[in-house]
Amino acid sequence: MIRFLVSIWQNFKEYIVLVILLIISLILLSQNNSQGIQKVRSIAFGTFASVTSVFTDIFNVSNLKNENENLRRTNAELMLQLSRLREYAIVNDELKGLLNLKDSSNFPLISATVVSKSLTKSQGTITLNAGKNQSVKVGMPVITDKGIVGIIYSISDNYSIARTLTNVDLKITVKNERSRENAIMKWNGDWLVMINVPKTYDIKKGDRIVTSEISSIIPFPLPVGVVYEIGNVEQGIFNEVKVQPFVDFQKVENVFILGLVKSKEIDQIEFNLLKSQ
Amino acid sequence: MIKPQYIISIILFFPLLLIQTTIVPLLAIDTVIPDLILILLVYYSITQGQIYGSVLGFVYGFLFDIITGSLIGSSMIAKTLAGFTAGYFSSENKQDQYLISYNFALIVLLSSLIDSTINAFFSSLNFTSNIFMLFFQHALLPAIYTASIALMGMIFYPKRKLF
Repeated sequence: MIRFLVSIWQNFKEYIVLVILLIISLILLSQNNSQGIQKVRSIAFGTFASVTSVFTDIFNVSNLKNENENLRRTNAELMLQLSRLREYAIVNDELKGLLNLKDSSNFPLISATVVSKSLTKSQGTITLNAGKNQSVKVGMPVITDKGIVGIIYSISDNYSIARTLTNVDLKITVKNERSRENAIMKWNGDWLVMINVPKTYDIKKGDRIVTSEISSIIPFPLPVGVVYEIGNVEQGIFNEVKVQPFVDFQKVENVFILGLVKSKEIDQIEFNLLKSQ
Repeated sequence: MIKPQYIISIILFFPLLLIQTTIVPLLAIDTVIPDLILILLVYYSITQGQIYGSVLGFVYGFLFDIITGSLIGSSMIAKTLAGFTAGYFSSENKQDQYLISYNFALIVLLSSLIDSTINAFFSSLNFTSNIFMLFFQHALLPAIYTASIALMGMIFYPKRKLF
């Protein structure tokens, strides 16, 4: 038996050694994440890396390395500074616009910042950092210097949530600034549309759309958008008019809440009007 | 009794790895780099035999994996098989013949091809890629580059033994 094994070893020792080594390698391959291997690796790698860094330093001009490091640091700092300045410029422009709006308005304005957004396809809402303590009430319009953003529909002590125009649950009365035609506008999931617009109405592409005075919520015209497309509904007597909003709801950050308390009496009338649509 | 050759072959690994990880990347041709450790392995496999070549490949692979942070076992398998293959050409009668520049380069090419193919399997295998392109880019090109370096090295190989 021993002689047999010895003869096998003599004839196939290269292959036997190879197979043993491969088996050990495969076992180690499966042990890559074990603590022991990781420990050995970290020691080996750390030791070799310290030697390598010395070796590398010899080949590199030492000043060049330091200079490169300093330049990279400066570059990173300048990039951060530039980024911050750009941000300031954007906020500055936005605030300037809001200040102009505040100066031109006689209505009480409560400034607020958007703290979170939920701009889903059909349920656009924004959370503002102004609530009951800042005299915010449900139903108050939210605006920017560009136009109307939405309506407050829920409040807490220091925060409030507003439905934006991109919310299917919000419908507002609007009018064509040029032809003074009124209509109800809502979000259909893709576009702001003025619904049930009689085909006889004088509406053209590019006309400015503003909020209507007949709304008890917003008693004076606020910019909404421009007519983008007039959909010719073949059957019936009504058209659908697509409106491109002035406000970019994705980018809105600083807003004002118009401190108006809607009249319950007028609201009731409007409610009846909406109900009849 | 351990032959001095064995110790020297292990000691030589470290400066060579240092060069491999610091200077050789500067010689990269579009990410393809030669493998100096493999050249040393082939040399020792031819001069010391197939078993020694396999064991040395195993040790080199282990050290390489553990130091460079590669997947432990991948280079071990690759270098063990490369050393085993190179060891085929170990013959006392023909040793000088195999160490002649172009013969040595061809053996390096064959061993390197095996080594690179196995390494490519562990590091770059992507079933959405063309397997032939993978073989060409990750196995054949490094093997040719390594063989070219070996060829240049063997031109200056001293006729008398250094060790």
